[in-house]
Amino acid sequence: MINEKPTLKSTGKALLYLLPMLVITITFSIYPIINSLLMSFYKDYNFYTDKVGSWGLDNFVYLWNDPDFHLAVRNTLIFVAGVVPITVVLSLIIALLLNQTKWVSGLFRTVYFLPFVTSTVAIAMVWNWIYQPDYGLMNYFLGLVGVHPIDWLNDPHYSLLALIIMTIWKDLGFNIILFLVGLNNIDAGYYRAAEIDGANAWQRFWNVTIPMISPITFLVSVNGVIGSFKVFDQIFALFQGKPGPGKADLTIVYYLYEKFYTEYKYPIAAASGVVLFGLILLVTLVQLWYSRKHVHY
Amino acid sequence: MKNLMNKHWGKSLLAIGAAAVMAITLAACGSSSKSGANQKVQITFWHGMNGVYNKALQGIITDFNKSQDKYVVKGTAQGNYTALQQKIMAAAKSKKLPTIAQTTYTTVPDYVNQGFITPLDPYMLKGSDKLTSADKSDIYSTFLTSSKYDGKYYSMPFSKSVRIMFYNKDLMQKLGVKTIPTSWEDMAKLGKQLKSKGVAVVGFDQSFDMELDGLIHQAGTSIVTKNLKVNADSKKVLTATHVIWDMIHNGEAKTAGSDFYGDRNFTSGKTLFYIGSSAGVSSMKANAPKSLNWATTPLPSYLGQKGTELAGNDIVMFKSASTEQQKGAWAFMKFLTSKKETTKWAEKTGYVPLRKSAVTSSSYQAYLKQDPTAKAAVDSLDFGFQAIAFKGFTEYRTDVLNAVDAMLTKKQTPEKAMGDLQTSVEKIIQENK
Repeated sequence: MINEKPTLKSTGKALLYLLPMLVITITFSIYPIINSLLMSFYKDYNFYTDKVGSWGLDNFVYLWNDPDFHLAVRNTLIFVAGVVPITVVLSLIIALLLNQTKWVSGLFRTVYFLPFVTSTVAIAMVWNWIYQPDYGLMNYFLGLVGVHPIDWLNDPHYSLLALIIMTIWKDLGFNIILFLVGLNNIDAGYYRAAEIDGANAWQRFWNVTIPMISPITFLVSVNGVIGSFKVFDQIFALFQGKPGPGKADLTIVYYLYEKFYTEYKYPIAAASGVVLFGLILLVTLVQLWYSRKHVHY
Repeated sequence: MKNLMNKHWGKSLLAIGAAAVMAITLAACGSSSKSGANQKVQITFWHGMNGVYNKALQGIITDFNKSQDKYVVKGTAQGNYTALQQKIMAAAKSKKLPTIAQTTYTTVPDYVNQGFITPLDPYMLKGSDKLTSADKSDIYSTFLTSSKYDGKYYSMPFSKSVRIMFYNKDLMQKLGVKTIPTSWEDMAKLGKQLKSKGVAVVGFDQSFDMELDGLIHQAGTSIVTKNLKVNADSKKVLTATHVIWDMIHNGEAKTAGSDFYGDRNFTSGKTLFYIGSSAGVSSMKANAPKSLNWATTPLPSYLGQKGTELAGNDIVMFKSASTEQQKGAWAFMKFLTSKKETTKWAEKTGYVPLRKSAVTSSSYQAYLKQDPTAKAAVDSLDFGFQAIAFKGFTEYRTDVLNAVDAMLTKKQTPEKAMGDLQTSVEKIIQENK
């Protein structure tokens, strides 16, 4: 079958198989993307009758001059820089540990995976309690090592950190599973060969494990960057429908949400979405370029 | 091989066919339900009521449907108010709006601007089913005033609450506080005395925007006036803001922060008083420890003036509904605000009755005797007021909340925060002209 020459009939058949997915992707992804790209250039736009007065770059100029949008970009970048590296390193370490001990690892896998399958709202409610300044667990543990109580959710200096900590915890599970798959796929022969050559545990890890799981590390970090750039639901749930105290947790998607749903400024919301798309594209391209040299398939 | 492949072909074609049939039947189901209710005109009503509130509302809807045989009202809870707003927006875009929906009167200017809603005047002021002048003077005037925009009535009041003050009787006795302060001036004095005892005199919810609106109103002005003049950095507004801000920054008053509602600080004895919504009485009853001896009272006066901001929702009618549906929708709105139904609604939910005759009715008076915590809200109605709605109000509200938030979390002074607010609100009004 693989060696069959493509004919009109076989192409048509392939298309038929692809059709369901294509229809879904085009209606729910491609079409909205093109539409919002167009919308970001609308001026004098009536959302409900779809009448466009004129076209222009005004929406992007608005974003360029809006201090709130600058704050949103800044917060998003801090969030991504805070969440992604720590998630990657921590989940790799935990995956390595789980891979070492065979017994109870099943239990721990489930435990670590639970946050991933739990609804964000439920997680946020629990963390809301953990972060409570007077009787929360977080301050209790910090108190044990002599740190003064912190008002995590009401102090603008700490609320972004609070969000980052919660997100890392939430994202760990899925990444651990990915790393475990990667670790299990490494041929034991490489380790044996390295041992024969006299490599110690650290050398084996650095020269065998790290290069061999680099495709997974790449996947996890690209996934993490894209996911973190789009952060919204955790903020909405943790701060009960507000972008944190003093807008300290205002991110690009939250900004988009506010422009769209509470200020009825649809083209500006679309424009901020386009900027977000550009940012993600840029960072992903840099990651791809880096992976050419350092990822071994 | 060929035969097998044909079989596969047949299968996939069959699957596609089945999917198509399903899609068609589903679509047909969706459109046929409109004419299903025995020729009666169907009126769809979207609201944001949950739990006990939803149950009480469903009861009223059932009553209405039984009371006549021309119309059927179908109420659908859409989650909370935010979700309701979002669904109205999505429905407007896809042209599938309901006949009527619950919304705050402050969104009316934006809805009118976007061409969603229609004035109630043809039904409310004319025709056989209009509101009589007796009806109009019976409904509290502030509710009807806020229903009016641009000289026309666009909404009917429905679920309304006021700000009231809760007090902790046991804690008052323990601290030796004999009388409840009846003015903000006394409240500030008491706050200074109680500070040394580690109790904040008064607690607010996460934001004190409603209380601030109240003080500004009592000072005889508002952040945005009827003529759309912005007063956020005027002397009167700043002085009023300082009343609350000074107390909070001296540790004599407390906002709820991430607890969101101030009832937790109140029930745990961190604050002696708590200013909250009268609709919160039912949740206070459910959450406060049984041993806690609490009661309610109207808000203190400021500069000798009384005032409390009314909050809550109205019902609006959408332009897209047919004339028959609009007639039925009006009949339902009138039914909701009738003496009997508004009394029932108030007794079941803790929202305030909309008519004076409902408050004085024997049924409601008996209810107040049984449950004195509801009295503060009703006593406040005579000096209740509502904000002035204008185009861009939702955006304005976000800015006010941001200003209050900046004063609380970033410790900005009223001069700075209200000064920034002045600039941003002027811009909103300019953009919406």
